[in-house]
Amino acid sequence: MNLTLLRATVHRNRASAFWFTVGLVLYSWLMVWLYPVFSQGEYQELLERMPQEIIAVFGGQNLGFDTLGGFMQAEYLGLMWMLIVCSAIIVYAAQSFAGEIGDGTMEFALSQPVSRLSYAITKAAGLVGYALLLSAATFVPIQVFGPRYEVEIEATVFLQLFVFGTMFMLAVGGFAMLLSSVFRSAGRAGAIAAGVLVTLWTADLVSNVSEPAEVFDPINVVSHWQPGKIINGEAIPAESWWLYGVLAAVTLAGAVVIFTKRDVA
Amino acid sequence: MGDVIKTASLTKFYGKTRGVEGLTMRVPAGAVYGFLGPNGAGKTTTIRCLLGMLKPTSGTAEVLGERVSLDGTGLRRRIGYVAGEVRLYDKETGRWHLDYVAGFRGGRGRLAEDLIERFVFDPSKRVKELSKGNKQKLALILGMAHDPELLILDEPTSGLDPLNQETVYRLLDERVAAGRTVFLSSHVLSEVERVCDRVGIIRAGRLVAEESVQALLGKRLREIEVRFGQPTEAELLAGLPGVDNVTVVGGDVLKARVKGDAVDAVLKRLATRHVVDLQMQRASLEDVFLEHYREDRVARELDPMGEEGR
Repeated sequence: MNLTLLRATVHRNRASAFWFTVGLVLYSWLMVWLYPVFSQGEYQELLERMPQEIIAVFGGQNLGFDTLGGFMQAEYLGLMWMLIVCSAIIVYAAQSFAGEIGDGTMEFALSQPVSRLSYAITKAAGLVGYALLLSAATFVPIQVFGPRYEVEIEATVFLQLFVFGTMFMLAVGGFAMLLSSVFRSAGRAGAIAAGVLVTLWTADLVSNVSEPAEVFDPINVVSHWQPGKIINGEAIPAESWWLYGVLAAVTLAGAVVIFTKRDVA
Repeated sequence: MGDVIKTASLTKFYGKTRGVEGLTMRVPAGAVYGFLGPNGAGKTTTIRCLLGMLKPTSGTAEVLGERVSLDGTGLRRRIGYVAGEVRLYDKETGRWHLDYVAGFRGGRGRLAEDLIERFVFDPSKRVKELSKGNKQKLALILGMAHDPELLILDEPTSGLDPLNQETVYRLLDERVAAGRTVFLSSHVLSEVERVCDRVGIIRAGRLVAEESVQALLGKRLREIEVRFGQPTEAELLAGLPGVDNVTVVGGDVLKARVKGDAVDAVLKRLATRHVVDLQMQRASLEDVFLEHYREDRVARELDPMGEEGR
């Protein structure tokens, strides 16, 4: 890993990282503030009148909205959070290789005495750091502000959310980085990564309302993201850990290997 | 002294498109080597292969005694590179870029400040606020600030005013005097003539000529102007190989362009008349360069299914 490159990467992403972090902190704060109000009767009645398919869109089926887990999944962590963090992570990953090649700045960076391996590992380390930051910006405010509104999450649950959320981002980011190591344009790498994610989300949505479609769930990263269940005290299945872990490790390693062997100008 | 750059049958294809093909060349230490060719001839591809940014399809390249690889960190420490199209981080300042490069190279020396002064460059501005010329100045400062053993410059004076061009030429002279080597690609032939001592001409991905600038100019084209004691006609030089552009001005002045090996025959033919005055000028590098490409165009007209037609 190269510290100069890591510092430069952090510096160049500071503005977007700042705004995503602030946005997530405020969103998390808002959710724990609203939960006591929304867990009251009128909200429940409203939800009961909604079609199951709509509830499924927000990942709220099988959870019950009167629970903190159900509320957080439906209103925040099930869909909106995924959209926010995946946007941030995909943009970063797509820019890491393909973006720099497309912009022509890779030629400048790699005319300096930094090895490609070091360059790629540094960019991957940046992705890990970014995922940890966004995870912290999401879950720490729930833990910090929650008690003021009588929303309390056990430390073990917080830790699981934090680590599992980070793993989810690394699985998505690793895939985007793999595409970035192949293409010459951040736009193309990012668009394909986003397209695949939307396809997975759609597949998950269909599987929520159609039993035959559940066949894809075991390999669908979106289907495995069930923060509501974690908040409600359910254990994260081992296969979910494995899926995220293997996907993140394989895609990041693949991105590093491909980058060290490709043309960069 | 040994060779600083050596390539052997260096070939790079982008799919089916040729970048450079079978390039074999040597750049001696301490030289300012001009690498000439029109757009698409393969100059930038060659440079990128030398820097390990592109993986050659076949052939080898050796720089500063090391075989070029995609991961040649040690080699890049000894090389300064200025790209043909300067692409830097738009939102960052010149100072940020200087610190960035210094971070990789273990600190910024006095030379960087000296270059900033000599180019009268303001490093506090963001790259996006800089004119093309100022971006070029920044790229030159970044490429030269660590006093590299080998400078690889792709169109180094692009966008610079004549004053700053002269600064670049002086800097190159100083680098060479200090024992450094310069590999320079350029379209500006007067510039090549001014700073280079050897020239390689690349055409359609292949090196078609390589010699010292003086030898190239000396043995190639000459412009002659002859004043005769009586009226003359263009047909006087008819049938002589290597002679063209024959014109008669004012009835008694004959002008022609003569290839180096045709001089003897021309002088003998002229001597059959009463010659009052004779001027002979070596053609500019530009003429030599164009002559190479004229030959290429003729060859392509004769063989329309040539390299690029396949």
